[in-house]
Amino acid sequence: MTLVGLDLDYVACVVLFCVGLYMLVAKSNLIKKVLGLNVMETAVFAFIVTSGMIDGGQEPIVVAGSAPPYTSPIPHAMVLTGIVVAVSVTAVALALIAQIHAHYGTIEVDELKELP
Amino acid sequence: MTTLGPTLLPWLVALPLAGAALVPIVARRDARWAGGFTLVVALVTTSLASVLVAQLASQGPFSADLGGWAAPYGIELHFDRFAAWTMPLAALFAFVIPFSWRYLDATLPRERWAPFYALMLLNLGGLLGFSVTGDLFNLFVTMEVVSLSSYALVAVAGRGVAAWAALKYLLLGAVSSLLVLFAVGLLFALTGSLNLADVSVRLAAAEPSGAALLALASLAVAFLVKAALFPLHVWLPDAHAIAPSPVSAVLSGLVVKVGIVGLLRVLQLAAGTGISLEPLNTVLMVLGATAIVMGAFLAIFQDDIKLMLAYSTISNIGYIVLGIGLASPFALIGAFVHVFNHGLIKVTLFLAAGAIIHQTGYRTLSDLRGVARRMPQTAAAMAIGAVSIVGLPPTAGFVCKWYIALGAFEADQGGYGFALVFGALFIFVYYVRMLDAFFFRSPVRPEVADAVEAPWSMRAPVLVLAAACLVLGVLGGIPIGFVEPAVVDLLAALGR
Repeated sequence: MTLVGLDLDYVACVVLFCVGLYMLVAKSNLIKKVLGLNVMETAVFAFIVTSGMIDGGQEPIVVAGSAPPYTSPIPHAMVLTGIVVAVSVTAVALALIAQIHAHYGTIEVDELKELP
Repeated sequence: MTTLGPTLLPWLVALPLAGAALVPIVARRDARWAGGFTLVVALVTTSLASVLVAQLASQGPFSADLGGWAAPYGIELHFDRFAAWTMPLAALFAFVIPFSWRYLDATLPRERWAPFYALMLLNLGGLLGFSVTGDLFNLFVTMEVVSLSSYALVAVAGRGVAAWAALKYLLLGAVSSLLVLFAVGLLFALTGSLNLADVSVRLAAAEPSGAALLALASLAVAFLVKAALFPLHVWLPDAHAIAPSPVSAVLSGLVVKVGIVGLLRVLQLAAGTGISLEPLNTVLMVLGATAIVMGAFLAIFQDDIKLMLAYSTISNIGYIVLGIGLASPFALIGAFVHVFNHGLIKVTLFLAAGAIIHQTGYRTLSDLRGVARRMPQTAAAMAIGAVSIVGLPPTAGFVCKWYIALGAFEADQGGYGFALVFGALFIFVYYVRMLDAFFFRSPVRPEVADAVEAPWSMRAPVLVLAAACLVLGVLGGIPIGFVEPAVVDLLAALGR
C-alpha cells in the first residue's frame, strides 16, 4: 500500500521510531526513557522484517507443492537476534535504574541532576 | 602451515568468550582463582593473536568461514592489516588483569570478582570479534557484546553514581547501536547480502541511491557516538572517570576504538560506490579539530585526575578522526597507528593513576600534591605517559601526531595542522599542571606524605607499559611500515 509514493508500512516504522525518540529525549522518568528505547527498537525490527516481505510471498520452506515467490528468511533471523540483544540491553538498563532508585530514592532525571 | 591462519582465526574470538563463561565456575571455590584464570586466557589469546599476525605478515590477508558455509552466504571472519594492528590492543588486557588483582581487593566485594573478570573477557572477545568480522550483522552483534559488557563494567563498583553514569552511557550507546542495526537492515534490503566485501561490490554495481547514502550515514554517525567524537562525547567523561581504574583503562584505551575501526569499515564499504565522501571528510575534519581543542580545553579545568584523562581521550579521538577526515596517506597512517598507540598510552596513564589512587585514597590534583616523593616509579611512568600523549619525541604519541600533522599539509589543509599544534599546546598545559602538582609541590595530605609504592603486581604492568611508550617512540617506523600497505589499498579503493 502506498501513500504519496511511499510504502505505508515504512512510513509507520518512521513514525513509530520518532515516537520512541521523543519519549527517550523528552521524558524525565528513566523507566519511560527505556520504554522509548524499546519503541524505537520495535520500529527498527518492524522495518527490517517488512523489508524481507513480498506481495503474495510464501513462507520459505520448500515442500512438495510450494512455489515461489518466498519471503526472505534472513531478516527474520536478524530480528530474532536483535530482539535478544534488545532484551539484554533492557535488562541491564532496568537493573541500573533499580540501583539508582535504591541509592537516590528517585528515578526522575531532573531530580537526579539537582543532587550533589 | 598454509591453513594455520584460517583454522586458528575463529578461536581468537571463541577463546575469550568461552573463558568468560568458565570464570564463574573457576571462581566457585575461591574467588581469587578467577584473576589468575583470566590472565591465562588473556595471555593465550594474545599469543594466538601474534601467531595470526605472523601468518598475515608471511602470506597476506586470510579469511575463515564459520559453520562450513562459504562466503557470501556464511559468516566470514577476515584478517587484514587493519584488524592485525588492533591485535596488540588485546595484549594490553594481559597488563590490565594482573593490575586488577590487588586493585579489586580494596574496591570490590569478593562476590563481585567473578562477574568482573567474566565481563572483562566478554569485552575482549567482543573487541577481537569486531576487529576480524567480515560480516555486517556480526559487526552489530560483536559491537553489542562490547557495549553491554562496558555498561556493566562501569556500574560494577556499585553505588548510585556509577549506576547513573552507566545508564547515561547505555541510553546513548543503545541509540547508536540501533542506528547500526537499522543501517544493516537497509543495506541488506538494498544488496541482498551481509558480507562486507560483497555488499561493497554490490553497492558499487547498483546506482548510487539515497537509501545507500542514508545507510552509510547512519553507520558513520553511530560509530562516531561509540568513538565519543565531540559533540557526541557527553556520555564519556562520567562513565570513564567513575569506573574502577582497570575498567577506565579498558574503556578509554580500547572500547572507544570500536567506533574508529567501525568508521574505517564504513570507508571500505563506501569505496567504489560512487558516493562522494567529500562531505563526510569535511565533517570529520571540522569535528576532529574541534574535539582536539575542546577536549583539551575542558581537561584544563579538571581537578580530578581521572576526569582529566577522560577528557584527554576526547581530544585524542579528535586526532584520529581528523587524520581519517584528511584522507591523505600520511594522515591515515598516523591516525591508524594512533588507534593502538593511544590505547597503550591511555592504559599506562589510567593504570598509573589507579595505582596512585589505590595507595593514597585521593584522586584530585590538589590532594595529590607531592605524591612523586613517595611513589617515584609510578609517578615517573605517569610522566612518560604524559609526555607521550602530548606528542613530544621520542615517545609513541609523537610518531602519530607528527604523521597526522604532515598529512594535514600534504592534503593542503594547513589550517588543521595548526589546530593540531594548538590542541597539543593545551594538552601540554594540563599535563604540566599535573606533573607540577606531583613532582614539585609539598604534600598537603598525611596519607600522601606517608604513601608507599604500589605492590609489584600493580607496579610492574605500569612500568612495562611506560617503557613500551618509549620503545614505540624510538622504533616508530615499525608500526608505520606495517599499516602502510593497508592504507595504500584503502586509498586506491577510494580513488585517491
